[in-house]
Amino acid sequence: MNKDDLTERFASILRRADRRARERRNEAIPTIYIVMSTCGLASGAAETKQAFEEALSDKDIGARIVPVGCLGHCYAEPLVVIDHPATGFPPICYHQVTVARARRLVRSYLEKGDPVFEYVLGALEENDLIPAVTDFARFNLEQRLVMEHCGRIDPDDIYQYIAAGGYSGLVKALCLEPEELIDEIETSGLRGRGGAGFPAGRKWRLASTAKADGKIIICNGDEGDPGAYMDRTILESNPHQLLEGLAICAYAVGADQAIVYVRAEYPLAVKTIKGAIKSAEGVALLGSTILGTTFSLNVSVFQGSGAFVCGEETALIQSIEGKRGMPQHRPPYPVEKGLWGRPTVVNNVKTLSSVPPIIKNGTEWFRGSGTETSPGTAIFSVVGNVKHPGLVEIAMGTSLRTLIFDVCGGIPNKKSFKAVQIGGPSGGCLPESFLDTPIDFDSLTQAGAMMGSGGMVVMDEDSCMVDVARYFIDFTQKESCGKCTFCRIGTRHLLNILDRITNGEGSEQDLELLGTLSEDIKLGSLCGLGETAPNPVLTSLRYFLDEYEAHIKENRCPAHKCRALTAFYIDLEKCARGCEVCVGCCPVEAIFTTRGRKKAIDQKLCVKCGECAVVCPPEYDAVLKVSPPELAPTLERTPDGK
Amino acid sequence: MPNIVIDDREIEVPAGTKVIDAARQLDIMIPRFCYHVALGSVGACRVCAVKFVEGPFKGVQMSCMIDAKDGMVVSTTDEEAVEFRKYVIECLMLHHPHDCPVCDEGGHCLLQDMTISGGHGIRRYLGSKRTYRDQYLGPLVQHEMNRCIHCYRCSRFYQEFAGYRDLGVMQSANRVFFGRYEDGILESPFTGNLSDICPTGVYTDKPSRFIGRRWDYERSPSLCINCSLGCHTVASARYRQLVRQEARYSEEVNGYFICDRGRYGFFYASHEKRPRRALVEGEEVAYHQAIDTVREKLAQISGSAGPEAIACLSSERSSLETQAMLKRVCQNKNWSGPLFFMEQSLAEKVKTATARLEPGLTVSLRELEQADFILAVGADPINEAPMLALAMRQAQRFGGRVVVIDPRPIFLPFDFQHLPVRLHEVDLYLSLMIKAAVDRETATELGPSAAEFYQTIPTLETAAVPLQEQIATLAQELRGCQRPVIVCGTEVVPQTTPALAADQVLLLKAMDKQTGLFYLMPGANTFGASLLSGDDGSFSTTLESIEKGKIKALIVTERDLFWKYQNKQRLERIIEKLDLLVVLDYVDSETAQKSDVFFPVSSLYEAGGVFINQEGRVQVAPKVYLGGTPIKQNSGGGHPPRVYGVGIPGSEPRPAWQVVVEIGNGELPPDEETAFATTRKWLAEGNPVFANLPPIDQFPDDGVRLGPALDVGSRFSLDWQTERHPKRNSDGLELILVDWTFGTEELSIYSPHLRQVEKEPCLSMHTSDAVRLGLSSGDKVAIRFDGGRVEASLCVAENMASGVIVMPRHRLLEWQKIKELPRIVRFEEIEKVSV
Ligand SMILES: Cc1cc2nc3c(=O)[nH]c(=O)nc-3n(C[C@H](O)[C@H](O)[C@H](O)COP(=O)(O)O)c2cc1C
Ligand code: SF4
Ligand code: SF4
Ligand code: FES
Repeated sequence: MNKDDLTERFASILRRADRRARERRNEAIPTIYIVMSTCGLASGAAETKQAFEEALSDKDIGARIVPVGCLGHCYAEPLVVIDHPATGFPPICYHQVTVARARRLVRSYLEKGDPVFEYVLGALEENDLIPAVTDFARFNLEQRLVMEHCGRIDPDDIYQYIAAGGYSGLVKALCLEPEELIDEIETSGLRGRGGAGFPAGRKWRLASTAKADGKIIICNGDEGDPGAYMDRTILESNPHQLLEGLAICAYAVGADQAIVYVRAEYPLAVKTIKGAIKSAEGVALLGSTILGTTFSLNVSVFQGSGAFVCGEETALIQSIEGKRGMPQHRPPYPVEKGLWGRPTVVNNVKTLSSVPPIIKNGTEWFRGSGTETSPGTAIFSVVGNVKHPGLVEIAMGTSLRTLIFDVCGGIPNKKSFKAVQIGGPSGGCLPESFLDTPIDFDSLTQAGAMMGSGGMVVMDEDSCMVDVARYFIDFTQKESCGKCTFCRIGTRHLLNILDRITNGEGSEQDLELLGTLSEDIKLGSLCGLGETAPNPVLTSLRYFLDEYEAHIKENRCPAHKCRALTAFYIDLEKCARGCEVCVGCCPVEAIFTTRGRKKAIDQKLCVKCGECAVVCPPEYDAVLKVSPPELAPTLERTPDGK
Repeated sequence: MPNIVIDDREIEVPAGTKVIDAARQLDIMIPRFCYHVALGSVGACRVCAVKFVEGPFKGVQMSCMIDAKDGMVVSTTDEEAVEFRKYVIECLMLHHPHDCPVCDEGGHCLLQDMTISGGHGIRRYLGSKRTYRDQYLGPLVQHEMNRCIHCYRCSRFYQEFAGYRDLGVMQSANRVFFGRYEDGILESPFTGNLSDICPTGVYTDKPSRFIGRRWDYERSPSLCINCSLGCHTVASARYRQLVRQEARYSEEVNGYFICDRGRYGFFYASHEKRPRRALVEGEEVAYHQAIDTVREKLAQISGSAGPEAIACLSSERSSLETQAMLKRVCQNKNWSGPLFFMEQSLAEKVKTATARLEPGLTVSLRELEQADFILAVGADPINEAPMLALAMRQAQRFGGRVVVIDPRPIFLPFDFQHLPVRLHEVDLYLSLMIKAAVDRETATELGPSAAEFYQTIPTLETAAVPLQEQIATLAQELRGCQRPVIVCGTEVVPQTTPALAADQVLLLKAMDKQTGLFYLMPGANTFGASLLSGDDGSFSTTLESIEKGKIKALIVTERDLFWKYQNKQRLERIIEKLDLLVVLDYVDSETAQKSDVFFPVSSLYEAGGVFINQEGRVQVAPKVYLGGTPIKQNSGGGHPPRVYGVGIPGSEPRPAWQVVVEIGNGELPPDEETAFATTRKWLAEGNPVFANLPPIDQFPDDGVRLGPALDVGSRFSLDWQTERHPKRNSDGLELILVDWTFGTEELSIYSPHLRQVEKEPCLSMHTSDAVRLGLSSGDKVAIRFDGGRVEASLCVAENMASGVIVMPRHRLLEWQKIKELPRIVRFEEIEKVSV
């Protein structure tokens, strides 16, 4: 491979990228960056963009609108960054930019230079005028190794990525021998971000030593965990970094074909990655004879149909082959015999996206973050009862407490923390006593949870742990491919039992059955889905046994969550005479007027929808919830029904 | 070869053997539901769990998924494993109905056995059972989805193994459903295997529903005689009625499966119309009276016109005993014949095939599964021998290439290359391909005749035929393959093809390949017939002799003259001229109805018999039951009529060979063993290939393959290029009469169930011919033959040769109106019938 030729070719691409960046900067008109990834769009970014366009043309203001990917601050969408150099302000990040706010921003900031402080989330650079985002924990505790450019560049413009240093990792890699490259990844200690944490370097080496033609790289972007969207974000926000990683991996193991597996429910991700492949091929960074070398890589996109189990690598391969997405026994592992029987490397989106910065900045740099056995960063989508849900990238080894309370702002509404479910449906629920657990592959597994692919659900005191376990088991039992006996039938019966317990029909024998059946499911399942499906049950049994017992023995749901075990009643002391709001909202007319024109609930009719508690004006706050339901005082309804 | 210890016993097994199979070799039967030797492992049911004590894997693991490795120590009786298996069964039973007493599988159900032996008894879980709606899958298989334990055997067999798509897995998780997209008759001709492999009662044998439990049946190994492959079956009878057939494992022939024609083709044996009394001039008489009458008449004819005025006609579906006995009697009595074939050209082709099946070339059906290149010439596997298609599918699944040279619209349940050429071009295309794959030097090494033979084949370039490129690429693949097999039909092909196929196989073999030759033949014992048939005349000369009055009596064993012979009118006329027509059969054929004296004979299931399949494998079918009129028929299911007499009602039929002996005034041997022993001796005297046949009770399971002597002289002696078929003719279509899976085979058409899966007979022609005639698929067309019009609907196909019209010899088509064969159907003889 002619290194000079190669670097020269890339240098010319880079010059083009820099020229474009310079031109843009020189135009000296404001730039409006609008977050247009799925989270933004869902919060109305498309309307926001339209509002900007209309307002700009109304006012005849020259400004450039650049759609960008996700910054991770999903709680604040639609997010907009306005760079208005003429005003002397640094680029400013605005939160919840609705249509009205967009118009106002055009009017005030773009036209008159008033940055509208009440919408500001923070400035993107340190300055004396506006607090910078880096002053917030949400920003400064994060370490953006992988998502560095997400939300900062236009994902559809390859030159922006290149200008930001993109694809130089690939160039560097192509100048190395594949062996050296694998050594590099191995010493970096990069572990698979798809769940199991298998060392990426080792996987690559196995594939590179497999003697066969037509090796294949598959990027696993199936991401089926409920609540997880890290991979989607990367695909939508910085697809080129992934493609660069894919190309480096292919070069290292000697593959000439790569497939990006994305679920069809991610239409934007599909569109973005397809466009990115095309533009990379357009400048010979993918496709045949990359940068004039002998290395070629044909990248295609495969859209999965959205079964959770198709994220499992062997099921994923089956589904690409046009078969039912059902996991297969390993060995043989995909690196020996994968897609179409050829050696196949399956790596997660995040794993592959970690590769270019590692190659570019070196293993020392990578190992500078994280822990000895889990170097680098972890990307979580934190959802549930936290103030600032969203995507966060933090160094491995950060404690759960820091992540939940500092980065994500803690529990809202003055509630207290109860548990955190890590690793998606197959992870475990950890109680408060585990908050100081460092986040890395091994510590989490030890605690009974797992890294999984990075879904994290934080739960406050109002969550019933039995109900949470039930929720996750309901998910896995529906998503079981239906192959293994225990996974297919056993999970169903776990659900039956949990259903009974949350309905107040549990028995003490059920607790024992939950335990033994869970163990059988773990032992008797072929793939990770079944092997881990009982985790939420097992961990909640371990850490929240008292809640199970309360349900079974006392007919009580401590979190007042399980309908069958709770009741609503109206505190006559607090109820305002003559207020009728709750009466009107009750769908089953269970609320009647009792003495002194105060209201009471007919327990026989109540369906426990909780509407009355919502509508009861906060100054009275008279609707109360109790468990067990017998605690609710009963008031006889008079025969006339009033 | 890894050494592994299972339950303290050591065994060495070939690398790649699964632990569950290694245990099997020690006679340790590890429980299994999803694992099936033919279908491989999927690891779904988890009931094969055993404890791995030492070695690379530890703990409770699935024995069907793990290859035996050196140093492994496995315990099947470990408490943890036993407990685990018990819970698997408990789990499966959570959803399984508890109604074994009314389930059709009860009594031969793997789940039932496992539940009992696993020790599961008391249900610990509450909750309702999951239920499904059953589907109508046709007349052969009953569906009861609630019983499913999700072993995936059915879908794996149906789709992966057999290659059909209309039954499979749907939905996921606890709702996984096995069946069709919607109710309907299953499309595959291998559906009965579902009943065999399903470990519970989801798929059960529909025709035998409500008849009995397996332990009620008289069961015996048997053979299928509905085509020439000789697949192994187990036949079951109850109350004097044959009620069910299942596949029987055969290492060499059919493996674990059989086709539906074979499985459900037995209904002739207990058919209501089956003749059970001897008839003289249509009157029921006692058996001995009929024998006396025949002997008397034969003596008269022999006296007046000489013994050669008595002719005998045997059949390809008769057992070897019957064939041989008829020949012995003929020889003793100096009668004419026996003839074994009605069509002389077929007789010659089959004889060539039997002669050219050299020991080093023959492959069994199972060996054919190992082929990496199969070249089929003039063969339509699905229609002529369905299990061959299944074997070819296995070869194809494991990477083999399948090429078919045949004018017909061939369907196979897998990807293959079809060269749809005219019949007279079959030889040429076969030769072109082989020549392109074989070097001249190699041919020369085989001797001067081979060299010359090779020389006379045109090269691809000089031949300048269509499909040239395709042949060139295929030849290239053929050159690279290791285990090629040529499959050669004997029915539609030109006279020269069987010998040519053998020569070409020899050329391939000389290229250091492990080659195989696989002929297809028309009947279950065609091979035997061919070995026994002499050179004395053909059936058409016999007919002429009858017309001329030289032959006055005809004895026909187990054959319907009208079934497969053209020009029915003439045949009827000639038969009228006979003084005596004696027919021996177990079906009420048209010939039987025209006989002067009729002898009912036992079916295969009552008489047993020796049959030689198309690869020369001599196999024995034992008796299954004693025979007699099914109780259901002679009493309508109630108590049998109180008739006093000896013997079983309706048990007059006796083995055809016995009747033959008695007709020929011979002495019946004291028992069957002696009978076979003498037959064997006599056969060996006539033909040394029979010399090594073991006594009847010592036949191995898979029979004995005959090794006909090398006929080196006939190698490469063929001048196939001068014996051309009629050239392509511009004013008509060459008529090809063919077999179909269902509806054309003489015995299986008696099955009321198969009649329901038969396709409506249709004529096929190539698109270009249809366009020329202004016809399209679905049109009703009539062909004017000399004997009358034949009407059928038309199928227009792209995947067949142009210039031919294909017609099935279907029971619903009066194709026997054709007078002469071969026949060109002129365009003006084809017309569209308006409806
Ligand atoms: C039920 C199940 C679902 C999975 N889903 C995903 C997924 O959505 N994305 C993913 O990258 N890996 C998923 N995996 C893990 C993959 O099997 C595989 O380990 C991973 O893609 C390897 O990539 P890595 O080495 O980069 O982590 C799943 C595994 C199981 C058992
Ligand atoms: S464990 Fe569950 S999801 Fe995995 S293969 Fe078995 S049945 Fe399918
Ligand atoms: S129907 Fe029978 S063969 Fe098919 S999966 Fe169910 S139990 Fe197995
Ligand atoms: S037989 Fe091994 S898992 Fe079913």
